[in-house]
Amino acid sequence: MKYDYDVIIVGAGPSGSTISRILAQNGMEVMVFDKRKELGEPIRCGEGLGAREVISQGLDIPRSCVSTDIKGAKVISPDGSSIVWKSKETTGWVLERKMFDKWLMEQAVHKGAKVQSYTRVFDLVKKDGKIQGVKVSHADHEPYEVSAPLVVSAEGMEATLARKAGFRAFSSLYDVDTCYQYEMQEYDHENLIELYFGTKSSPRGYVWIFPKNDKKANVGIGIGAHLETGVKEGGIKGATPKDYLDRFIANHPQLKNASKLQDTGGIISVSAAIDSFAKDNFMVTATAARQVDPIHGGGIAMAMEGGLLAASTIMKAHKANDYSEKMLKEYETAWRNTLGKKVAKRLLLRKVMEAASDEDFNYIFKTINQDDLDQVMKGNFAGPVAKVVAGRPQLMGLLKALISSRETV
Amino acid sequence: MPIEINHSRCIQCIGCASVCPVGAIELIGLRMVFHPEKCISCGACAKACPANAIKFIPKAGVKK
Repeated sequence: MKYDYDVIIVGAGPSGSTISRILAQNGMEVMVFDKRKELGEPIRCGEGLGAREVISQGLDIPRSCVSTDIKGAKVISPDGSSIVWKSKETTGWVLERKMFDKWLMEQAVHKGAKVQSYTRVFDLVKKDGKIQGVKVSHADHEPYEVSAPLVVSAEGMEATLARKAGFRAFSSLYDVDTCYQYEMQEYDHENLIELYFGTKSSPRGYVWIFPKNDKKANVGIGIGAHLETGVKEGGIKGATPKDYLDRFIANHPQLKNASKLQDTGGIISVSAAIDSFAKDNFMVTATAARQVDPIHGGGIAMAMEGGLLAASTIMKAHKANDYSEKMLKEYETAWRNTLGKKVAKRLLLRKVMEAASDEDFNYIFKTINQDDLDQVMKGNFAGPVAKVVAGRPQLMGLLKALISSRETV
Repeated sequence: MPIEINHSRCIQCIGCASVCPVGAIELIGLRMVFHPEKCISCGACAKACPANAIKFIPKAGVKK
């Protein structure tokens, strides 16, 4: 059978762009569909990205995609005390996400991938029970079919097609944070990411301030979506992140006088990845598979790193002309053995953050220093935990999961 | 209709669609579209909505 393409990818975010770039570079015919009118819009995230992923893929991000460099982080405890972790080098960027997404997809097009915007993939095409392509509609016009032996879902949180293919690609309320964010100006920052913890000001979550250029900043909050912190429309109890964020800003000496340039919001996944990433002729990648950092729900870095793994398996499958679940599962195994282990560690840290009281936060942030924080970021918990427990043994119950984690992950 | 979407409040974040267990809400074009025939009246969409843009109308006898 002759197919229209070797691979159809659904979604032109960082995952779809990365996978299509690598496949096209290696001679495969790739088609990427994206339902947005313009790639990159709307923005639904804090726009942060670590430097490592980009460097490892030989990408040279143009300045137009970068709002500002990040030089470190500042963590603020409920009582206002803080730890600063600074680096001489740039540790990452706050992106202009809209520009970045489009630019990343352009790199794939340069290598020969095709992309089509404002095209909704609304169903799978099956022949003899096997997935053989998709049904699409461009700008809500007459639907048509496009065929390929492999369909890849890089759809992000909504994951409509992945669900149609039988994956459990949706989240329970407990497994997500509901978020609200403003782009604000003016805010005097030191190019540090600021994270504010406090169970009263941001229950099961935190407030973030991501620096941007020209004294701008993304100021946002994420709180557990399962919480019933307020009464919502129609009288149902539910989480109200916007109320918390507005309160935080009203009480912040600088931000209370700052302007708002943009409202964004969204839901971030803070759970483990879904339980399966592949079946015959179909793969799920990145945020669609809940492959995100469970502390901040960030998915750009994970999408780019995971994209390499996915592309490598797809090339193998193409060469062998074998798109069976068994073949495609290689990608899943590779992911679980590498990125999956990182995620598992971050998940443990998240559980501790979730269980900690304001007093625990205050004590921990007073006790550990920049070097300890550096170790925690690298996933080495033993030293910092020993330091905290030495002064406050009652925290052992809370923190022991971190140090016994070595065997389990 | 178990829910009403206030499109003036909605920021198209697709949060509701991400937590809907039955795929009863999806973003089509620039608007969230609700498919009432699929809805199981669980209220997850309204609870999760960061913009408080979904009015949940519980069925008689269902606890809020």
